[in-house]
Amino acid sequence: MIEFENVRAGYGGGDVLQGVTLTVERAAITCVVGPNGAGKSTLLRVLSGLLRPSAGTILLDGKPVHALSPAEVLAAGVAQVPQQGGLFGNLTVRDNMLLGGYLIRSERGRLKKRLDELAEAFPVITTRAHDKAADLSGGQRRIVEFARALVTNPSVVLLDEPTLGLDPKTCEVVFESTQTMNELGVTVLMVEQNVRFGLKLAHHGVVMERGQVLFAAPADELLARPDMAALFFGAAPETSHPEGGL
Amino acid sequence: MSAETSAPRRRVPKRWLIGLGVLAAVAIPFLTPSSYIHNVLILTFLLGVLGSGWNVMSGLTGYVSLGHSAFIGVGAYTAGILASQWAVSPFLVAPLGGIAAALVALALSWVTRRTRGVAFVIVSYAMLELLGLIVRNWSSLTGGSQGLLMPLPDWDVRFHNWPFYYALLALLLLSVAMTSAIRRSKFGLGLVAIRDDEDKAAGIGVPAPIYKSLAFMASAVLVGVAGAIYGYYVSFLTVSTMFDIVLSLQVVLAVLLGGRATVWGPVLGAFIIVPLAEVTNTSIGGVDAGAFRLIMFGGLLLLVTLALPRGIIASVARLLDRRTAQAGARLASTALPVAPMSSRTLAPGTDLLRVDGVTVQFGGVKALDNASIVVPAGSITALIGPNGSGKTTLFNVIDGTYEPAAGDVVLNGKSLAKLDRTGRAFAGIGRTYQLPRLFDSLTVLENVAAVNDRFEPRRLVHSAVSGAEAARATGLLEFVGLGEYVDAAATDLSYGQRKLVELAQLLMLDPAVILLDEPAAGINPTLLQRLAELIRSLNATGRTFVIVEHDMQFVLALADQTTVLAHGKVIASGDPATVSTDPAVLEAYLGDDFVLEPTTGPRP
Amino acid sequence: MTLLVQTVILGLLVGGVYALMSSGFSLVFGVMRIINLAHGAMIVLAAFLSWWVWDRTGIDPLLVGVIITPVMYVVGRVLYRLVIARVHRIDHELAMVASFGVAIAAGGVMALIWGTEVRSATPSYFNTSFQLGSVVIPQAQLYAFAGALAILGALYGLLRGTFLGRAIRACSENRDSAALVGIEVERTMAQMFAIGAATTGFGGAALSVIYQFVPDSHYVWIGRILCVVILGGLGSLLGAALGAAILGLGEALTSSYVDTRWATAVPYILIIVILLVRPQGLLGGKLRADGARA
Repeated sequence: MIEFENVRAGYGGGDVLQGVTLTVERAAITCVVGPNGAGKSTLLRVLSGLLRPSAGTILLDGKPVHALSPAEVLAAGVAQVPQQGGLFGNLTVRDNMLLGGYLIRSERGRLKKRLDELAEAFPVITTRAHDKAADLSGGQRRIVEFARALVTNPSVVLLDEPTLGLDPKTCEVVFESTQTMNELGVTVLMVEQNVRFGLKLAHHGVVMERGQVLFAAPADELLARPDMAALFFGAAPETSHPEGGL
Repeated sequence: MSAETSAPRRRVPKRWLIGLGVLAAVAIPFLTPSSYIHNVLILTFLLGVLGSGWNVMSGLTGYVSLGHSAFIGVGAYTAGILASQWAVSPFLVAPLGGIAAALVALALSWVTRRTRGVAFVIVSYAMLELLGLIVRNWSSLTGGSQGLLMPLPDWDVRFHNWPFYYALLALLLLSVAMTSAIRRSKFGLGLVAIRDDEDKAAGIGVPAPIYKSLAFMASAVLVGVAGAIYGYYVSFLTVSTMFDIVLSLQVVLAVLLGGRATVWGPVLGAFIIVPLAEVTNTSIGGVDAGAFRLIMFGGLLLLVTLALPRGIIASVARLLDRRTAQAGARLASTALPVAPMSSRTLAPGTDLLRVDGVTVQFGGVKALDNASIVVPAGSITALIGPNGSGKTTLFNVIDGTYEPAAGDVVLNGKSLAKLDRTGRAFAGIGRTYQLPRLFDSLTVLENVAAVNDRFEPRRLVHSAVSGAEAARATGLLEFVGLGEYVDAAATDLSYGQRKLVELAQLLMLDPAVILLDEPAAGINPTLLQRLAELIRSLNATGRTFVIVEHDMQFVLALADQTTVLAHGKVIASGDPATVSTDPAVLEAYLGDDFVLEPTTGPRP
Repeated sequence: MTLLVQTVILGLLVGGVYALMSSGFSLVFGVMRIINLAHGAMIVLAAFLSWWVWDRTGIDPLLVGVIITPVMYVVGRVLYRLVIARVHRIDHELAMVASFGVAIAAGGVMALIWGTEVRSATPSYFNTSFQLGSVVIPQAQLYAFAGALAILGALYGLLRGTFLGRAIRACSENRDSAALVGIEVERTMAQMFAIGAATTGFGGAALSVIYQFVPDSHYVWIGRILCVVILGGLGSLLGAALGAAILGLGEALTSSYVDTRWATAVPYILIIVILLVRPQGLLGGKLRADGARA
């Protein structure tokens, strides 16, 4: 369980997060939605340690993690898949995967075993092992990014706008990979611009605006709320990406 | 390096201060006969001229030069050699020294015309060393390591060093006036745009090669003249004093200390550095004096970069003029204003833009494979396709970023093949980027005012933001809904607002075809609706759009016709309803040809 | 013909040493995009240290080069901590200007300590050579070349085959992603910068044996290094090796067939020629920012 308690954070020009209080359930998929600039990605950055909050606490299973470095957060079991372009394109897929295990680099046996396990779940990391990551297709890159985040066996995975810039078909790959991950017992906290996509995939939905949580509820409930549709979805027809409708 | 471009506000006391300073500088030779003080001021003026020149190239345009003192050497040796060959006063041929320096600068801009930042630094250093070597080795002309003796002054001793003093003072004032004029001109706006993002600048009608050549020549010419006078003043030219790397360091130091990209920063810096150097020169003597000088200047430069990277003027100005950041205010949901008319409207239906059989190859991959599209005037064309299908590459071919291996781009019946990016902007191609690219050290209004729809030498000297063009830029910003933000810094805008500024830039350019690269990506639904309305109303005035987009609801609702790319090939085109039910499109774009890894599929 | 073969051999031997000297510079540029103008001063500092230890103790200067490699590592670490780490986050160019200040001040410090007389280390093999038919291979150049190759090989292995190497390359591509896999970015940068500095240890020792030098020589050496990396393509280690061979050959040929006075101009002429003909360098990717942002 992750608990944000009145978290404030920003990049120098005022706080982007204006006191976020939020509880993220174990072993579920939670999706944060909200307009651009609401602070969704910033929420992930403070949790993963890329940005230090100026106030408030973040507890992971009761232990504070808000003052830790990214490496320490990762060691505590929280891995983040960065936004678009997070692979090291000039390194091979294998080197990328090895770096996913950077923290356990001294435990050769454990690292090797873990890479073999992941290769079974995501075959592309074996079939394209010696290709530069930049040469993979968009969908394959996403899969490798997901697999890389799983090397250290994290209990929580953070996804930062996983569908940004992806075409509908690759979105399906992301959809399925996220479910695969969750079925392996991983807690997923994701941020998504594509509201329908995110809430279809998630169990819980969180709506943020202007650096605060407006409300949190089961995802299907949020999807059905008419006022939500008016506020965030526009008056769009009832089709959406994952189902492949145009 | 980031540099302040906003002018200090307090004009009246500043004007008095400047007037008093100039008056004092003019009066000093009459007030004190001390040749020591005259000498210090002469060297200060020299460094001020050199600094002002360096500032145009390295402060405004962003091309850091580490060999700027070479222009002093070029000016001094040109004037020295010509004066002795023609037996005239070096004063008479000093302007030729300036011309020689400008020609060297022109050559320098030619050598570096295809490179950016880093390479320029290296070439500027190479230029200094190479010119020094040439002068040293070409001893028949330059006296080589023996040095070159200048004629003795031919005026009455009662006038002391006054001719040198006043000539260099005049050059300094001229340098400051020139920098100030450039800063306030449309040319100067273009230089700052080049510093912030040269490729983007090229795409909105700033012809970077011409601007850079002019800026480099402007930064060298007065330095060359000053070098000629300085050479005459020291009366004996040697390579080590005329092509002095330490002087190149001092000029960087002086300008950084005073304030980079400011008008008076180089002068302020020179008035600090030269007296400091002279004081230490007289207090430290002996064999180690040179070593201490190096340690002092090197250490000072280090200190300035660590402690005062913005320089004195900008730091003080920031204290006086704290700009409060505008926290993401919401877009006003006012009614849409009337769309500005375009001057390029064509009869609807004629083929405006044609891409004919374009192929682009990256390594072994064909990013575009014999792709053709036709865009009728007044239409909205949606360009869709899976990731990596070549949509953005196609934009890059149309705007001249990439040269295709085969095929042609034709606008209004004319091939664009021979035009560079700026040429295509003038011809009528305008585009936005997936991630909006603005000039971050300019205000929102300046970002729009920096746009040129054609190149005219006369316009270079136009005032940057005033008059009819500024009014037009303001009007366009109001049209896109950013009327309240004209004076905001570009960096204070949100992501979505930056996209709107890019659109306003395009309207300023007023191209025949507007290419939008994923306008809907990453912006919120309210803004998305606004954007759709803007595009519709602009289209209603006859403007033509090509839109790359993944948000199908957004783009298919707008488009008159749709082209689908897959693996670099056009697989379908036609009206949106037909295309979106075309089996080939469904197969390629939405269907199952993408091989999912079996185990990543849904589990039973 | 013998003269040509002789010149080519000498040029290539020296080129190997240039490659080593440029490797650290190229590494730092490749990862941090910083032009470290103090690199030449570090080489000359290492040369003074090798010469000085040899002069005092008689220990072989090339061997001293191996011993002072850790010393130069520490010098790099300190320079990084005190200067580079503070400015590079603001701006790459500011870091370059700061390193320019360091280089010039370092020239002054070396002049204070060791004076401005011309120095060079002259061990027993300094003037002897192997005879290969009519071709002469000077021993000093040969040993320096062999040492340079060994260190370059080790550097390559470090970057390709170790976690530190992978971490360095990861940081050069995407800092945030590197941090998210648990790499301590700042520490890795510091190590990388210090490794770059360490390569000047043997490079400087080789300089002290095969060249004469004064404190101000660092201007010449940074000129050569800039030439090597521009020729090969900025940030490319393999390119640096190729560029070094070309510069070594160019200087040797100019000395033999034109005039030694013009040999010093070769690096600068090569810089200008390569920028005119192939601005991205022989093996480099494009220097342009195009596409990188999209």
